[in-house]
Amino acid sequence: MYTLIRTFSLPARSWAGALLLAALLSAPFADAAGQSREDPQMARFRLADAFMRAGQFEQAIGLLEDLYAGAPRNETFYQKLKEAYENVKRYDEAIALIQSRLADTRSAALLSDLARIRYLQGDEEAARATWEEAVATAPADPMAWRVAYQSLVAVRQFDQAVSLLEEAREATGMPALFRVDLAWLCSISGRYGQAAEEYLALLKENEGHLDFVRARMTPFMEDQEALAPSIAAARNAVQTDPLYRAWRELLGWLYAEAADFPRALEEYRAIDGLENGQGSRLFEFALAAADAGAWEEAAKAWQEVLTRYPDAPAAPRTLAALGAMHTQQAEEIGERAFDETGQRIPAPHYERALVAYQTFLQEHPNHAMYPDVLHRVGRLQQDVFLDVGGAESVFLQALAAFPNTRAADRAAFDLAHIAIARGQLDEARLRFNRLVERLRTGELAEQARFDLARIHLFAKEFDAALALVDILDAHTSTNISNDAIALKILLLENRGPDSLDTPLRRYAGALLAQKQRQPLAALDSLDALLAAYPGHALADEARFLRGEILLAAGRREEAYATFAEIPLIHPASFLTDRALFEAAGILSRDPDTREEAAAAYRRLLSEYPGSLLADKARDRLRRLRDDEGV
Amino acid sequence: MPLRSIRLLLLAALLPLAAMSARAQDVLIPMDIRQSNHLKAYGVAFWLLEQGEPVDWLLNYRGGSFLSAGFDRLEEELQVRGVYFERIGPDASARIVAEVESEEYNTATVRLETAPNIAVYAPEQTLPWDDAVLLALEYAEVPYDMLYDDAILDGALREYDWLHLHHEDFTGQYGKFLQYRNIPWYIEQQRKAEAMAARYGFRKTSRLKLEVAQTIKDYVAQGGFLFAMCSGTDTYDIALAARQTDIVPSEYDGDPVDPDALSRLDYDATLAFEHFTPVFHPGEYEHANIDVGPPPPALRNQAVDYFTLFDFSAKWDPVPTMLTQNHVATVKGFVGQTTSFRKRLVKPSAVVLAEAPNRDEVKYLHGNFGEGTFTFYAGHDPEDYQHFVGDPPTDLDLHKNSPGYRLILNNILFPAAKKKKQKT
Repeated sequence: MYTLIRTFSLPARSWAGALLLAALLSAPFADAAGQSREDPQMARFRLADAFMRAGQFEQAIGLLEDLYAGAPRNETFYQKLKEAYENVKRYDEAIALIQSRLADTRSAALLSDLARIRYLQGDEEAARATWEEAVATAPADPMAWRVAYQSLVAVRQFDQAVSLLEEAREATGMPALFRVDLAWLCSISGRYGQAAEEYLALLKENEGHLDFVRARMTPFMEDQEALAPSIAAARNAVQTDPLYRAWRELLGWLYAEAADFPRALEEYRAIDGLENGQGSRLFEFALAAADAGAWEEAAKAWQEVLTRYPDAPAAPRTLAALGAMHTQQAEEIGERAFDETGQRIPAPHYERALVAYQTFLQEHPNHAMYPDVLHRVGRLQQDVFLDVGGAESVFLQALAAFPNTRAADRAAFDLAHIAIARGQLDEARLRFNRLVERLRTGELAEQARFDLARIHLFAKEFDAALALVDILDAHTSTNISNDAIALKILLLENRGPDSLDTPLRRYAGALLAQKQRQPLAALDSLDALLAAYPGHALADEARFLRGEILLAAGRREEAYATFAEIPLIHPASFLTDRALFEAAGILSRDPDTREEAAAAYRRLLSEYPGSLLADKARDRLRRLRDDEGV
Repeated sequence: MPLRSIRLLLLAALLPLAAMSARAQDVLIPMDIRQSNHLKAYGVAFWLLEQGEPVDWLLNYRGGSFLSAGFDRLEEELQVRGVYFERIGPDASARIVAEVESEEYNTATVRLETAPNIAVYAPEQTLPWDDAVLLALEYAEVPYDMLYDDAILDGALREYDWLHLHHEDFTGQYGKFLQYRNIPWYIEQQRKAEAMAARYGFRKTSRLKLEVAQTIKDYVAQGGFLFAMCSGTDTYDIALAARQTDIVPSEYDGDPVDPDALSRLDYDATLAFEHFTPVFHPGEYEHANIDVGPPPPALRNQAVDYFTLFDFSAKWDPVPTMLTQNHVATVKGFVGQTTSFRKRLVKPSAVVLAEAPNRDEVKYLHGNFGEGTFTFYAGHDPEDYQHFVGDPPTDLDLHKNSPGYRLILNNILFPAAKKKKQKT
């Protein structure tokens, strides 16, 4: 039966032998009567294999040596015996085995194997000489170089493997040989610049490989050690051929990975020009830059899209994105359009956002984003520029022109808030109710339900408000459930002392006036409450609200005094720690009173160590101590 | 009303507080359940030592409290760090010390005098798992230096009193993370280790790591304090035991395991374990049978997995007592590459500090070697039951009273203790 097993003299074809053997091993031999009968050699081989799997190499070696002696040209027996010798570090026997085969054929594969074993044995010099001999057997044959390089990789001799592949190109006269292998070897051995050069050359051969190259490079680009040399290589390549799009795209991507957005912008600008992208590449770049917080480069890129391609499909999306970015930027830096005294002050980011949105509305009236942008304009007018009339007309336009859109729903919600601000509580109620009926579920519907409860509070309909917040309170998964619980506690704990609930009515009046941006009316209401009911359960909350209104109106000294007196007048109040925190916050803004601010934070930490504000107080105290040496 | 004049309002409110913080008072930092932030309390004790102020560690008194002379900056530091403290008069302070020193109670006073120099053995490379000791030191605001193989081989250890090892593989098998072999952090780790080995004249990472392990052992022998966690414990001893053989499969170093590896293991060379068997399978995420491994899936639940701390005599065995100071007697279990030690493989010379009840598993042990000591604490992160590769680091602000982390921090104060004559 042994003769059925083909023997292969070329190790390169040994996989075929292995496959055949596997097939033979898996199929029992049948005699004429159909009964299974296994060849004795196969049975012994199978046993040897089992010994090896069990780690009993010595037993396996005994069997394999016998098998190999009986069939010295059998590739499978040879490979298995060599593997067994290696596993028990009997390198001398492994070498002798290989050399017995080399007597017949001095192939690159056998010599590479010999070199590897010599290396494992510790004889590095002999190993190197053997590898050289291996490639010398067929220097023009890439396969000879491949088996040698693979055996070097097997013993993690990456640097030598790189050198060998470089030599292979010269010897074979094929400068593009082993491009991907060499790039990978260079990456894992930390030669990032050389790896990038290989990838750039690959791109030059076929720019369709760009995604492949990026995928291969990405894992290594988390490291600055890899980024800098890769960028240098890509930059050099671009200098040699500035019009080659794939190189510039790789360079732009590398700059973006390194967060060097100004340079990345230059590349994407060039790419857009090269492929006549009509601004689409610049637009995508700007989005990525804005996400990474590179506002300036994002704005520049979008401005360029608008200047160079005003009629391109990217132009309207650019205006919308530019407006959104300026709004986000303004929010992050706390930009305001009015100062504490109500005077209009410059708000450059909000103003630029408004201009971008208005330009969009003028130039792209039929664009799909029109309703959304229209709503954004209304919100800016309402929240930032305090132009309630302007906002209202914009929201009405959105509602009328684009019914049943998300923008229309949000416009209806905002119109209800404008109605509250104007004291038109019935109209607000109507709008919220319509919205709840239309949407039923979702964040906007829940918010509208909560606002309906607040309208009942403003209208002094406390039982109705309580009934609504009871429902909201039950939905603990919603975002407004915490607000609903706070409102419920306010309503439950602050009724009386008279049947009209006068203190709560005054407090609700102050809340409504605050919402309507009428600080004086709100303060009047609170002062009346505090004068008439100084011992009422609402007194501490009224004082705290007073402090907040004064602070928002820029009356810092009065706000401070109000907050500071809360711990003295209401030492048992749940707002005492918050009042101390606010008072300390006001003091810390004035360089002359920072020591007092630190003392207030310390007091908060001493007297209210379990306060939710304790961590923030500690942070601020540290900051005061570090910045001011307080 | 100008702000400067009305600020008197607040100052008036502060007067009673100021009157109380008299300089003559002592400060007691209780470490029982009243403590708001146990972990930062260790940091304050360390800070006091850095300021040259001695601290009395009251072993077994209210969870292992700290007592110090009071002064304004101390109180501010305690407040800023959110550590609960009590001001006590000199009489009360003396009474407490007398009570702690009395023979009636299993308590003792240990004076801490000098802040130890702390080194953490960790690579510069960011690896996708956290190190519980680094987290604890950072959170407690205890200063430390990071050292790795080159610094240790160049003799840097002589500058430090305390060395910590965490998720390290001293056998040179790169944590046996074979499944990650194509991931950049693994490739980078292997490349740097091989380059470092070559720099010091070793052909294999395992030989470099062995040299590092032996250098650390010399450091301990000369009086250093070694604290190790997770795989930094068993792989350390495995590497020392395998000094005359090769236990690393070819998948990690290119050549197979020495067929006679088992017979060539030298257990005399180890610190804590003996008679163990290394795991030679390259794909098995285990280095030896020292680690019992995680509990079976049905019990792999932090609600039922816990270990108990041994009670030691504070006056007779102050060192194990220091290392086990805690406000609880049982601590939540936690899993790691090394989760707990097989009891029968622990050398008799080691002192078991904590074990899993009825499971024949040791969680925490301590021993002496030469002039120094070693402490091994199994598991990866006391507040992350099963920390996986790539998981975010634990936010200790959410675990300010962690008993498991307290055991780590006991170790950093232990080298600050003034050596007292043992009671005989």
